[in-house]
Amino acid sequence: MTLFSLARKNIARNLSQYFLYIASMVFSIIIYFTFVTLKYSDAVAEQTASSQKLGSLMSGAAVILIFFVAIFIAYSNSFFMKKRKKEVALYALLGVRNRQIGFMLFFENLLLGLVSLVVGILLGFLCSKGFMTILIYLMGYDVIAPFTFSGAAVLNTSIVFLIIFLVTSFQGYRLIYQFKLIDLFHASKKGEAAPKPSMIVAFLGIFLIVIGYWLAMQDLFTSKVWEKIGFLMTALIILTTVIAGTFLLFHSVTGFVLAVIKKNEKWLWKGLHLMTVSQLLYRIRGNARTLTVIAVLSATTVTAGGAVYGLYYNANDQVMNVDPNTFMYQQTDAKSDQQVSAILPDTKYDENVEALSITFNTKELSEESAFDNSDKRIYTVIDERTYNKLADVQGKEALHVNHGKAVILDIGYDKRFSPEYKDKTIRTEDNTAITFQSFKTQTVLNAKTAGIAVVVSNDQFKSLQKEGEALNYRAIGVDQASVDLSEKISKQIPEEALFSSAPQDFQASIESVGSLLFIGSFLGLVFLAATGSIIYFKVLTEAEEDKSQYNMLHKMGVNAKEMRKSIASQVFVIFFVPLAVGLLHSAVALKAFSGLLMMNLAKPVLIWMIAYTIIYGLYYILTVASYNRIITQNNKTEG
Amino acid sequence: MEPLLKVENIKKTYGKSSAAYTALENISFDIHAGEFVGIMGPSGAGKSTLLNMLATIDSPTEGKIYMNDTSIHDMKGADLTDFRRENLGFIFQDYNLLDSLTVKENILLPLAIAKIPAKEITALVNRIAKVFGIEDLLAKYPYQISGGQKQRTAAARALVTEPALILADEPTGALDSKSATGLLESLSELNENNNSTIMMVTHDAYAASFCRRIIFIKDGTLSTEIYRRGQSRKAFFQEIMDVLATIGGEVDDVI
Repeated sequence: MTLFSLARKNIARNLSQYFLYIASMVFSIIIYFTFVTLKYSDAVAEQTASSQKLGSLMSGAAVILIFFVAIFIAYSNSFFMKKRKKEVALYALLGVRNRQIGFMLFFENLLLGLVSLVVGILLGFLCSKGFMTILIYLMGYDVIAPFTFSGAAVLNTSIVFLIIFLVTSFQGYRLIYQFKLIDLFHASKKGEAAPKPSMIVAFLGIFLIVIGYWLAMQDLFTSKVWEKIGFLMTALIILTTVIAGTFLLFHSVTGFVLAVIKKNEKWLWKGLHLMTVSQLLYRIRGNARTLTVIAVLSATTVTAGGAVYGLYYNANDQVMNVDPNTFMYQQTDAKSDQQVSAILPDTKYDENVEALSITFNTKELSEESAFDNSDKRIYTVIDERTYNKLADVQGKEALHVNHGKAVILDIGYDKRFSPEYKDKTIRTEDNTAITFQSFKTQTVLNAKTAGIAVVVSNDQFKSLQKEGEALNYRAIGVDQASVDLSEKISKQIPEEALFSSAPQDFQASIESVGSLLFIGSFLGLVFLAATGSIIYFKVLTEAEEDKSQYNMLHKMGVNAKEMRKSIASQVFVIFFVPLAVGLLHSAVALKAFSGLLMMNLAKPVLIWMIAYTIIYGLYYILTVASYNRIITQNNKTEG
Repeated sequence: MEPLLKVENIKKTYGKSSAAYTALENISFDIHAGEFVGIMGPSGAGKSTLLNMLATIDSPTEGKIYMNDTSIHDMKGADLTDFRRENLGFIFQDYNLLDSLTVKENILLPLAIAKIPAKEITALVNRIAKVFGIEDLLAKYPYQISGGQKQRTAAARALVTEPALILADEPTGALDSKSATGLLESLSELNENNNSTIMMVTHDAYAASFCRRIIFIKDGTLSTEIYRRGQSRKAFFQEIMDVLATIGGEVDDVI
């Protein structure tokens, strides 16, 4: 019998044991292969020929994926190897040479890898159509995703995974050399010292997290701290403090809390509470690293996903804000107007807007502003009547402007950079003074066509007419306008008409944010699956170690229901404490992010978090069920 | 007096009819409250099978076992676990202590499971710990104490609820002779002073000599039965050895 055939038979016979390991490898390969297929796919390439961004985004994401998949496979490999230590020791005891055992494990691993690679690529090929459909849908395109088999993708995937498998196989080879025989036989029998929770370490952990949070909540543009330490450095400090703090938190604070609970004998000495709390206390310190990894992974996934989803979710609002009218352009000649009218379907409204383009002396505003120090600004001026007419059709509130006063419509207003408009006075070149009575962050004229608009009273508008250049805009409202229509219209009017179109802007923003969202949720899915699997592996290893204890409880007369309850609460802590910490981290990060973008992300982020928690919860249910199965089965066979 | 435990014509077979293997056959005996009974016999005689059935972990193919006039194998699910919790105490060969609990917590675990109020627990634990001489170890964890101390902890855990019947499966199997003697002395003291009923499976004649009555099993059937009565332990030990010699026990184990 050759080593190779021994390895092969090993796999064939223990397929159920190997299943979990193979499944996690196949999963990684499917994910990676699908992603690479998308990257090389013609359909995506054609559609995104215009935006180079997507290509580089995809490449970047692929690198993150490789990194991640490698870690994940290494983790499941070590879990798998731990289970097989006894078998390896037995071979050694029977007189098989170390070198032979090493080679056997090496081949076995490699064989498993090759099998998973083939299965993964086949399944990945089937999945890629589904993912492509999602991507195309999210980007707002109207094409049907084809089945593509990309040779380049197969090559890329094969190379990446063969390297990963060679490394893990080598790890298997080294197993026999790393440990003494006795250690292999008693893989996890050594008693661990019970943790002694330290107040100081606990405080240090919380303190570090608070520092990280505080830094993150500082405004990027105005904060002295960010300015002094530098952008990259500060980001790095935030990451380090939060991660280190999280670790110390799990290392000490949880132990501390459990130790406090342990003092409450009245509650503790009732049913299996004692067992539940002690098991957690016993395990939590050894698990601090895993818990930290889970918390950080969750935080990353939720933050990235939440941010991107927030952008996607707000894309429509953003466009509505910038383009309140579906189409708008500056009228230049009657002929093109007629041509546009000919193309237009039923319109909600079609208004001619009289406006003035006036250059103002804005010295008073300049003092306030940090970025724009020009003394002269050109505003588009309209009168109150025009504003109210447009506001009415757009469903906005009417406005009243006093004589000599004005309201400025600045959609880009940001209190950090924009001038404080209220009660500031601007002057025309003929020295007519106008004072702002207020400002609005929404407008009635498309910003791309008309820029920043200023609303004055009807009389004032008349008197200003001689001081500025008269402009005529055409503002059109259409329900459910398509990009096609927009393109047709834009062909009819000259460039200098400054045509602006809501559907086109929407398409552009969905295109970039949609692909971001796809990559974000794709990576999010991978991270989530990996996070769940890591906990799953970990908890099940513990279940194997603890089954004799549960058997003892069974003999002692503890019923199955109580045991299930204890197991469920132990696993609950392992799952949901890091999740809670992760969500808190990402909530802070997203708060900072939304502050930066002046966007309200609460709703999309909440949706994202809930979705994440639900999938995560499914993992929890699966894990508890598997744990229970191990215990019940053992109780049955052991008596 | 009604016996505490009544075993009636127990038979246990494993496997399907054609290839059936009979582990136990025709076993009947009574145990009265306050007895200290040893079960002896060579390997494969069916000692552990018998113990498992008394522990309600396994059920006989034929026959019944009554405890206080209840047929223990006609109970199901929750009733069975309740019965086990209220009436039985176990001492295992490999201790089966929970590593994550201190000695004290290990001992009080069955009390906690039985929902005894926390106030009473400490007193009960302290009393039983004194019996087994482990009062000073209460705050320690299992990995910090010796094998003998672990087994005494396990025994204390089995006895703290004052169960009607204590089942011990080779309790001295993993102990050195000094620790074994300590444990056995504690057990026989409890039997004498507290009238605890103990049933101990062993193949060690020295351990068996602490019992007051010994049932011998061979090849799945009852072989013989001896009582200590007024004899000294040494004389009883000699009697055990003689029986073992005739039925072919593992005499060489003893020296």
